[in-house]
Amino acid sequence: MSKLRATDISISFGGLKALDSVGIDVEAGEIRGIIGPNGAGKTTLLNVICGIDPPDTGTVWLDGESINGLKTSQIADRGIGRTFQTTKLFKGMTVLENVMTGLHGKMRANPLAAAFSFRSVLREEAGAARRAREVLEFVRMLEFADEEATSLSFGQQRLVEIARALVSEPEGLLLDEPAVGLSLTRVTEVDELLRRIRLERGVTILMIEHVIRLVMGVCDRITVLNGGRKIADGTADEVMADAEVAEAYLGAELDA
Amino acid sequence: MLRLFSRRNVMAAGVVFFALLPFFANPYVLFIGNLALMYILLSVGLNMLLGYAGQLAFAHAALFGVGAYTTGLLKLELGLHYGLALVAGVGLATVTGLAVALPALRLRGLYLALATVAFAQATLWVFTHWNSVTYGGAGFRVPPLDFEPFTSRPDIGVYVLTFVIVLVSVPLGWNMLRSRVGRAWVAIRESEVAAESLGIDITRYKSIAYVVSAMYAGAAGGLFAGMLGIVTPESFDLFQVIVHFCMVIVGGLGSLWGGVLGAVGLVGLQEVLRAFRHLQEIAFGGLILFTVLVIPGGAVSLLKRYVPGWKEPLRRTEHDE
Repeated sequence: MSKLRATDISISFGGLKALDSVGIDVEAGEIRGIIGPNGAGKTTLLNVICGIDPPDTGTVWLDGESINGLKTSQIADRGIGRTFQTTKLFKGMTVLENVMTGLHGKMRANPLAAAFSFRSVLREEAGAARRAREVLEFVRMLEFADEEATSLSFGQQRLVEIARALVSEPEGLLLDEPAVGLSLTRVTEVDELLRRIRLERGVTILMIEHVIRLVMGVCDRITVLNGGRKIADGTADEVMADAEVAEAYLGAELDA
Repeated sequence: MLRLFSRRNVMAAGVVFFALLPFFANPYVLFIGNLALMYILLSVGLNMLLGYAGQLAFAHAALFGVGAYTTGLLKLELGLHYGLALVAGVGLATVTGLAVALPALRLRGLYLALATVAFAQATLWVFTHWNSVTYGGAGFRVPPLDFEPFTSRPDIGVYVLTFVIVLVSVPLGWNMLRSRVGRAWVAIRESEVAAESLGIDITRYKSIAYVVSAMYAGAAGGLFAGMLGIVTPESFDLFQVIVHFCMVIVGGLGSLWGGVLGAVGLVGLQEVLRAFRHLQEIAFGGLILFTVLVIPGGAVSLLKRYVPGWKEPLRRTEHDE
């Protein structure tokens, strides 16, 4: 069954058509990669799916239900987590506080109850801290729980951001270049982490990635965008064999 | 040795000091102490909006004024009990804060700053020119307060009332900051997009920040009217905006306790320079510049670095801008 589906998505910024009737269909439990040259519209597609950029035309479906017109925070509450191309950890918070912020939608404390620190609020806080630690353990960052989040290395921040998106136990995860700028060992770690996220947490993953080794290794299927259009969709082998994909990346053959 | 100066100890010493002040201080020192307590309220409220939620809004002094005018006028014109007038002052300041929030939610950064400066100036204009209600530029006297049978001295009465309000409302604010509310504010300050993608309704949490911050400003205003006994527009002009910002920035943006220290410290500075108003403006402006350039985390960042036990949740560290 399809978990996440987008049909006929078009969106323009000013005169620029960032996406031109793009469709994507992600099966439950799938790890789907999105690749394409710079400016292909990959991040825009993620932004459309999670409600940051409302599309001009087209519909986004979550579990067969349209989520068009919902606010980003509402889409998050429906179980879609998100990380960003440039890590957006909150400065001024520890790693633990950052991850606990990911539980916002799962918590109920209202400002008044919080001000009076009702027992229910304290219990909820303690539970949130426990869940945050548990997910930090899962991404193997627990030892940094009390560090200032933005003082960590780039690769560590990426893992914390994934933990922050995971802590609310989303069913779908949108990752924008989780391995960008990471060393080879780190890429292997991310590869293994993504597999564990699917296996142990049953999360469907849609990710943009330039690190071909990671995309080819971990993704069940790959969608290729170029210039705002979808040019291919299939397994790694199918996509690699596609002439249009080769052309998009390498240019047309000179003797063609 | 340094542990002696941990946050908890310093705050406990502060509480004891302010609690004992009425017993040994002369009326002038008591007034300054009262002023300091009132500025703590202002600073805590402003810090929530500016330091934690990151909204560059300049409406705070105007809301402070709304609290003062409402409380003072209700006491003067209707002879309302001071406590009730104060509650009404907080109420109207809160409603006004919400009214500011509605358009302000659509604005960010510089545009928000400009719109709220305009609001502050418009409010000041109303204070100055709506003669039939506000008594214009000369302001009005608030009838003497009566705290019988507790004390025959109104200045001690207002002082104790201010002290109690600070003692209750600052911990309430602190609890709020330690909860998901405080985390939502900091998340909004750092990245609205990331905050939303974690399920934080930014419209809702920005509104909460405006409202809560307005409550503190309104309470401070009502107390100010009571302790000073006179309400004039010039108490709420742009210089006051600078004073409020100075307390929060010099003390520590995004650090509740830093803001508290800033409030107390700057009241002292203001008194030292009482005779030279223009020097005050230069000193406060210079202090903001100095802090922003040299110790961007505010005075509290130095404490955090050098004094163990100054850690606090959602803290900004010294390497932040």
